Amino acid sequence: MKLRPILGYSAATATLIVALITPFLLFPLFSKGVGALPLHVDEVYSGGPKVRTIPMGAYSIDVHRPVYPHMLQSEKPFVQIDWSPVSALPQHVSDAVDIDGDGQPDIRINFDVPKDPKAPLRVDVVSLNPRYQAMQNAGKDKFSRLIVRVDNAILVRVPLRNP
Amino acid sequence: MATDARNLPPARPAPRGIGWSLLLTLPILIWSFLMFGNPQVHADRQMHIAGAITALFMTVLFFMMMRTRATYRWRRIFFVSLGLLFPVGFIYNLVLVRGTMGIPIEEMIAGRTPFCFMPIPLLILPAAFTRTLVFPGSIASNSHGMAAMVGIWLAMTLVLGKGWCSYACFFGGIEEGVAAIPPRAKIRKLDPRLRLVPWAVLLAMVLLSLALFEPAYCMWLCPFKAVSEYVAARNLLGLIQNIIFILLFAGLVIVLPFLTKKRTQCSWFCPFGAFQSIFNKISIFEMKIDKDRCKPCLLCQNACPNLSLSKESVARGETLMSCMKCGACVDVCPREAIVWHIKGTQIAWKPERARLMFLYGAWAMAIMFGGSIIAQGLAAILHIVV
Repeated sequence: MKLRPILGYSAATATLIVALITPFLLFPLFSKGVGALPLHVDEVYSGGPKVRTIPMGAYSIDVHRPVYPHMLQSEKPFVQIDWSPVSALPQHVSDAVDIDGDGQPDIRINFDVPKDPKAPLRVDVVSLNPRYQAMQNAGKDKFSRLIVRVDNAILVRVPLRNP
Repeated sequence: MATDARNLPPARPAPRGIGWSLLLTLPILIWSFLMFGNPQVHADRQMHIAGAITALFMTVLFFMMMRTRATYRWRRIFFVSLGLLFPVGFIYNLVLVRGTMGIPIEEMIAGRTPFCFMPIPLLILPAAFTRTLVFPGSIASNSHGMAAMVGIWLAMTLVLGKGWCSYACFFGGIEEGVAAIPPRAKIRKLDPRLRLVPWAVLLAMVLLSLALFEPAYCMWLCPFKAVSEYVAARNLLGLIQNIIFILLFAGLVIVLPFLTKKRTQCSWFCPFGAFQSIFNKISIFEMKIDKDRCKPCLLCQNACPNLSLSKESVARGETLMSCMKCGACVDVCPREAIVWHIKGTQIAWKPERARLMFLYGAWAMAIMFGGSIIAQGLAAILHIVV
């Protein structure tokens, strides 16, 4: 028998072995390998990493790093702020938030917290720093301008003015 | 000569004996119950019953492949079942968990958008250049995470190559089912240049995904959003997107397959199919045409659901790189000139051995991946009915 057929059958047998070990070994191995790659989900979706937590008594406010979308992305730059846990929030939230950590409030945010977790949310944002845009009665229009409830937190994304 | 070949009846190889067929099916029977027989995995009763039915279904189909020596028609039963039951299980779970088929923005932000294999080629360039995954999901290796889908796709691609499109894709079955309905094609003359469209769609979508930093195909062109999950129509843009999905689904998955008896979405549009064709080059299994036996009647070209045979390729003794290894051409050839082949070996030397080696791997993968989707669909029906 020549070398090429031997290699061919060896490769075919190896393929069969790959099929048999896939559910037990290869699939978990590949999944973990891909999961361990130094990749992250686009911050327009994830909101970017948290940089600061402001304790507010029963609840806390997490401020995320500002997100700057890529050149042709349709979203504007924004900063995400989270209120959690929802169960500890008052019926109406009205907080002045220091986003950049300079000791001065940058925005005042007002929203109601309905008891029904599926009820739509609306937010008003008063800009105290020209870097942050005001919002009136905003819902979940765009990734860069919204208020939504995710699990046990209420997330508000405030658009930034173009630098 | 061509007329002679046309007059020949389709090849009907003598059926294998029942004993031999059962013996050849035994490994698949064991594998099926290994995949579906774990009571810890299927805690609820409906899933348990659905798993047992699926195991039996897949084993019977494999037995028929062994007994009749035909591949295509039995594989098609599995594949159409997969295509029909995937939306059932998927939509049932969505409605149960989320209450709607539309993806709310909250779910995207939470990274809970289920990830299918379609966006894989679209994520490569943004990931390579910026280490960013432009998909609102989670990278975690749990069942809905991107890592899990990429992991299973990688493993299965090693085994199947472009055979993914015949043994694993949970979308293609719908159009294959529709294409099987009419006895004859109403449109027979198909422009061969249309085969190049999926490559153009792939290139455009890969570049657009890099430029816009979003999975452009999923956002704008995926016909299967119509039967899985769609962008919730929050505004006019969302409404336009959903209209495009429905029109593409109706045209490419329902109307054109009915008129042409081909998998038109796969042949003329699907960018993932084009991407997967590349992996046929590394797959050890392929279809070959024994030029000594072939009298070019082109029955194979007519039978191919994916336009993967042309006059020129038949003359060269091979299929095009888009071949999905479905076996339609082999089953229809009256001279047994088209055969399953292992690269490096002599053409038409023990082709049944090559077929068996491919089918064991492919069917094992089909049971593991497609079978579990079929079982979920059946379980959803049982949950609704019982």
